[in-house]
Amino acid sequence: MSVIETERLTKSYGSVRGIEDVTFMVEAGEVFGFLGPNGAGKTTTIRTLLDLLHPTSGSARIFGLDSRRESVAIRARLGNLPGDFGYGKGSTGREALALLARLRGIEGIGRAEALAKRFRANLDRPLGELSRGNRQKVGLILATFHEPELLILDEPTSGLDPLMQEEFLALVAEERERGCAVFISSHELDEVERVCDRVGIVRDGRLIAVERIADLLGKAKRRVRLELTEPAGLAELEALPGVSELKVEGRRASFLIGGDPDPAIKAIAGHRVADIEIAHPTLEQVFLTYYEEGGAG
Amino acid sequence: MRHLVATHLHDRRRSVLAWGLALGLWSAFIVSIFPSIEDVLSKATKGYPPALKEAFGISELANVEQYLQAEMLSLIVPLALGYLAVRAVASGLSGAAESGRLDVLLSAPVSRSALAAASFAATAVELALVLALTVALTALGSVLSGAGLQLGSAVAGFANVWPLALLFAGFGVVATGWSLRTSVVTGSVAGVLVSMYVVDLIGRLDSDLSGVRYISVFKYYGNAIEDGIKPLAFCGVAVTAAVVATFGAWLFERRDLSG
Repeated sequence: MSVIETERLTKSYGSVRGIEDVTFMVEAGEVFGFLGPNGAGKTTTIRTLLDLLHPTSGSARIFGLDSRRESVAIRARLGNLPGDFGYGKGSTGREALALLARLRGIEGIGRAEALAKRFRANLDRPLGELSRGNRQKVGLILATFHEPELLILDEPTSGLDPLMQEEFLALVAEERERGCAVFISSHELDEVERVCDRVGIVRDGRLIAVERIADLLGKAKRRVRLELTEPAGLAELEALPGVSELKVEGRRASFLIGGDPDPAIKAIAGHRVADIEIAHPTLEQVFLTYYEEGGAG
Repeated sequence: MRHLVATHLHDRRRSVLAWGLALGLWSAFIVSIFPSIEDVLSKATKGYPPALKEAFGISELANVEQYLQAEMLSLIVPLALGYLAVRAVASGLSGAAESGRLDVLLSAPVSRSALAAASFAATAVELALVLALTVALTALGSVLSGAGLQLGSAVAGFANVWPLALLFAGFGVVATGWSLRTSVVTGSVAGVLVSMYVVDLIGRLDSDLSGVRYISVFKYYGNAIEDGIKPLAFCGVAVTAAVVATFGAWLFERRDLSG
């Protein structure tokens, strides 16, 4: 059974688009990245999953429970970090933790102290006196202290310094090891690439692709730069499928290759190669490709 | 729900002190000056126009209870507590939405109805605490000045404000069902509060229009410091407040909570 399962989930605000026909699944022990620029519909999707927004049509099930009718039972088993986390200026992180622990029926504040030490978070200062990054650390602790089965994180590294971002990625990996499903909304492509198993790309309220990270990167074109020991035309490369933008200048050549690289490598092998570099595509390049080309899903 | 109520009260502790001290000290001052102005007042009130006396519920100002009714309990305390009630209930709902706290609380296994009910219940306790502090300071003022205020009458007079103020907390929950902006919630309910007072005043001043008083909760408020609490009116208004809050919680449950 999937942890999250949506079926044509749609939310509109009158005539204004929110999300449309969003269908995806997240399994236990999986880290799922939800990618898209601001306004694409990421937060609307999360708020609909959490029953903060009521869907116009379609459905969402979490732990097999209906997100609308059984939201209280669902929320007993998840942790959520809202985008732009806030809790009021006068309260401390410890007070917020104490209340949430009581509402969850937990004795004490679980592993919150250990997490606070790990993230160097101050639980005893009023949240209004903390910087955005330090507030975000408290938000992360509130979302994770009770070891939930599902973590929903909306722009989780917003405001965190690079060291804490690393710590966050390590924590997500540990949560996955524990069997927790993690749903991360982000436009930080680097962190998504490093920690997610699969990503969904959302554009204008529609989910235009759901792929494994490795597949997504595999589909992307890679730039090949090579240097031969003597000048050669390399015209045979142009005829190969998936090869484009071939440039040859004396002994140096570069081209883009998409799909199976084997024919191009074999064609190059007919020459004496002094050096070769195949650039690994970043998720950012893939993401931009989806956005620029209107989606290849 | 008791955890939510306790947290709400903890967050509002400064407000309880501020409102209780302000109203209590003012009320204590009113009571403590009474012995020195008693004679002057008695003569002056004989010259007041009957309509003015009717409007402010003044029969005579022959004793400190009547003076306290005229100066505090006929206008200032009901309006102040009504406003405090809507501020308090809004802080737990629309205020929480504005600060981001609502999103955090609704990540836990708690329903929106429970949040609304907790906010309403905490407001009921907060109002009672403010009134208790006000009565205590008023009684202290009377003892120190020798004004001779009857404690039982004073308790009845101030306690009678509680269900009236609670009704506006109920309206506050309803308003939160429509808007999550605290300024809209407090502004709209404060408008209803003042409108009800004015409607009741008009009904009292013009006997031809006395029927309009039935749409105002002030019709059922009375003068408990002299006449005692009328259980039917007291309980009726309190139950109405709970029903209105329940309707508000239903609206709150159904609405979208946009980020």
